[in-house]
Amino acid sequence: MNIPEELKYTKEHEWVRLSGPTARIGITDYAQDALGDIVFVALPQLGESVSAGDSFSEVESTKSVSEIYAPLAGKVTAINGALEETPELMNSDPYGEGWLCEFEFGASSGADSLLDASGYRALVEG
Amino acid sequence: MVPFGGWEMPLSYESGTVSEHLRCRSDSVVFDVSHLGTVRVSGSDAKEGLQRAFTNDLNKIGPGRAQYTHLLDADASVLDDIIVWWIDDETFDVMPNASNTSRVIDAISGRDTTESRAILAVQGPRARQRMQALSAEAAAVPRFAVQRVGIFETQCLVAGTGYTGEDGIEIAAPVSVAEKIFDALLDAGVTPAGLGARDTLRLEAGLPLHGHELGPGITPLHAGLGWVVAWNKGDFRGKAALTAIREAGLNRKLVGISTPGRRPPREGCVVSHLSHKIGTTTSGNFSPTLNHGIAFAFVDIEHIEPGTEVAIDVRGTDLAGSVVTTPFVKKQSG
Repeated sequence: MNIPEELKYTKEHEWVRLSGPTARIGITDYAQDALGDIVFVALPQLGESVSAGDSFSEVESTKSVSEIYAPLAGKVTAINGALEETPELMNSDPYGEGWLCEFEFGASSGADSLLDASGYRALVEG
Repeated sequence: MVPFGGWEMPLSYESGTVSEHLRCRSDSVVFDVSHLGTVRVSGSDAKEGLQRAFTNDLNKIGPGRAQYTHLLDADASVLDDIIVWWIDDETFDVMPNASNTSRVIDAISGRDTTESRAILAVQGPRARQRMQALSAEAAAVPRFAVQRVGIFETQCLVAGTGYTGEDGIEIAAPVSVAEKIFDALLDAGVTPAGLGARDTLRLEAGLPLHGHELGPGITPLHAGLGWVVAWNKGDFRGKAALTAIREAGLNRKLVGISTPGRRPPREGCVVSHLSHKIGTTTSGNFSPTLNHGIAFAFVDIEHIEPGTEVAIDVRGTDLAGSVVTTPFVKKQSG
């Protein structure tokens, strides 16, 4: 199970890369493996404002669909358009080319309640 | 692994459903389909018993051939869809869906031999070529033929059948030798494939799955499988009810629907035409070969024409699509 040390995580199996006022997010290696082959991603809307915990995207695999919940409150400032034609990037490179979107987030965004790598590892490995 | 009809089955192997699917279309895969039932029916009255139970006519074929057929309920609903392997004059292997074996035994009173054998389905345009590494004889069993073939010095039954829309064979092997055959197939370059790919392959090929396109309230006529019904062979289970339905006419029918986007339609979605509900999907997924969504649906009879524009409501999002002829993906010739 690949759980990079430098990232933050949610209990809903998203990862968050914090850098200054922006955060890049995606789904974890554990999530992509559980979903199986991903064939469609409903991307968030650019410019959309969301609250932490909002369902704002969907990932569909050959076997099921999974909602993606906003890990932080903020505004969507970038989306990974490559997923429209090659959603399988989420399977092959979940922490890299398979990223979902970027957020601009404020002070009370909920970033301090995210899990660190060891906390997330404890969650998925029990 | 997932539970399926009392069996533990792999949904996919290492390479994943889409890759397994594409491998079956371009080369070869092997499925362990031991969960299918086998009911051995033998004796001088075996053929007549099956003729009275099932819709198709065994007189269209003969010993050494396989036939697709249906077992109907009294109301003409499809209780199960079945492949019959006619092995020799008085010996038949009747192969129901996993969960329907006991219902089929109730109807034809054979012997359940499911536990004694494994079934490996080797499918794809290069399936026979790769099978030659194990047995040239098995590799050469013609389409819809059934033959006894020795593989690793053990007698197996091999049929030119499958459920993928591709050429290939199915091997019923004693449990003692099945693992050796499976491993030898992998060594010969055949890719193992799981239930996920089996479902997307059969859907692309326009093949019905019991519990989805066939089941209670669905007759062979509703499913577009009238060719499975031999009207002229004498009486069979459900014939009276089916005759009445044929004379009254159908009010709905199974169609294929193609959706141009990648978002997969799913089972149980409402299908509409000009904002009016006309039916419900029974299966749906992303087609790895076509790179867009495909679905089966029962729709009102006035909307079954290919080209009819429809919308499929997937959890509140309407996917635009149109009625198309099936199979969605046709086998490459040659």
